[in-house]
Amino acid sequence: MELPSELRYTKDHEWVSIEGNHAKVGITDYAQDALGDIVFVQLPTLDGSVSAGESFAEVESTKSVSDIYAPVPGRVIEINSELVDSPELLNTSPYERGWICVLEMSDPAAAGELLTADSYLGLIS
Amino acid sequence: MPLSYSDGTVSEHMACRSSAVVFDVSHLGTLQLQGEEVFSLLQEQLSNDLNKISLGRTQYTHLLDDEDASVLDDIIVWWVDEDSFYVIPNASNTEIVQQAIGGTDTTLDRALIAVQGPRAREIVAVVSPEAAAVAKFHVVPFTFHGEPCFSAGTGYTGEDGVECHVPASVANRFFNEVMAAGAVPAGLGARDTLRLEAGLPLHGHELKRGVTPPEANLDWVVGYKKSHFRGREAVESRKARGLRYRLFGIRALGRQPLRDGSAVFLAGRSVGNLTSGNYSPVLQTGIGLALLEPALTDGLEVEVEIRGRRVPALICKYPFIP
Repeated sequence: MELPSELRYTKDHEWVSIEGNHAKVGITDYAQDALGDIVFVQLPTLDGSVSAGESFAEVESTKSVSDIYAPVPGRVIEINSELVDSPELLNTSPYERGWICVLEMSDPAAAGELLTADSYLGLIS
Repeated sequence: MPLSYSDGTVSEHMACRSSAVVFDVSHLGTLQLQGEEVFSLLQEQLSNDLNKISLGRTQYTHLLDDEDASVLDDIIVWWVDEDSFYVIPNASNTEIVQQAIGGTDTTLDRALIAVQGPRAREIVAVVSPEAAAVAKFHVVPFTFHGEPCFSAGTGYTGEDGVECHVPASVANRFFNEVMAAGAVPAGLGARDTLRLEAGLPLHGHELKRGVTPPEANLDWVVGYKKSHFRGREAVESRKARGLRYRLFGIRALGRQPLRDGSAVFLAGRSVGNLTSGNYSPVLQTGIGLALLEPALTDGLEVEVEIRGRRVPALICKYPFIP
């Protein structure tokens, strides 16, 4: 299972890539594997404000639906529209083409609360 | 049976539509009945009419509640020999079916292995040409490594294929040989999406307490020409008083999987609920079956409420695929 060390993680199995005050968000390889074939993504609302831990998107597989929680507080400034017609990218490319959205962080310090790859690995193993 | 094997539900589903898959459906029940009286007993206790078939054939039938004609189980009967039948109920209903018809529960002595898909027969022929040659809705005996088995031309996917009854002692070997001949192993997830695309009912969903055969569009499963059978007065009375709902197909305009239990709205008014729902890998849209007000018609635009959001959909005919 892939777990890039440069990313940050949440206990809800999202990954976060921090660049300045922007946070790109997706779900981990572990999460996509547990969900099975993802067939639908309800993307976050563009320009919507979210607080940390708020459910702001959903991914659905043939067997279940899972909430995606905002890992940091902020505003949704970009969504990955490619997922509308190709939700399977979450399975095939969870860290690259399967990104879900980019948040402009309202409190960049909140990123400090996120888990390192090692701590996340400890959580799932 | 796992939810899916390593390839995942969608890929297993598509393998069944384009090639062939193998399911271990041994969880289904098997009651073995033998004796001169069995024919009349089944005619009395089950809804369909065995006079429509003959020795060497199979029949889909229901066990009805005598009081209100609720479908207590949906069942396949294999007429395997003179005065000898295999009755195959849903796993969780084996006991109530046995209470109604008796018989010996042989579920643990055998495996049921379904091979389904356009290439199913070609693949089964590698393992047993006799098993592969069974005609649709027929059942034939065959031998596998010296063990007596049966093959039926039945299934639950909407594809051609066979379902084989093999003694537990050779079950692994049969499954592995079918797999080696080219069938992709498939799990419960694909079994459900396949049967849903094919518009086939699942007990506990479309069929359950409070649903009679005509309300599920399955009036053909009731043998009205028989002199008497369990539930007859109740189902006739239900038809005379009017059906409470009817089973319809629902096709979402988008990809979101529809879900069991969701309310269906027509012009803002609730007209019934989904009994099954999921994603159709072939159509790439959400699909479902729903018990709705009986006077509705195909083609109507409706909305399905999923977790507080309403998604646009159409009432449609099923099966969802040709």
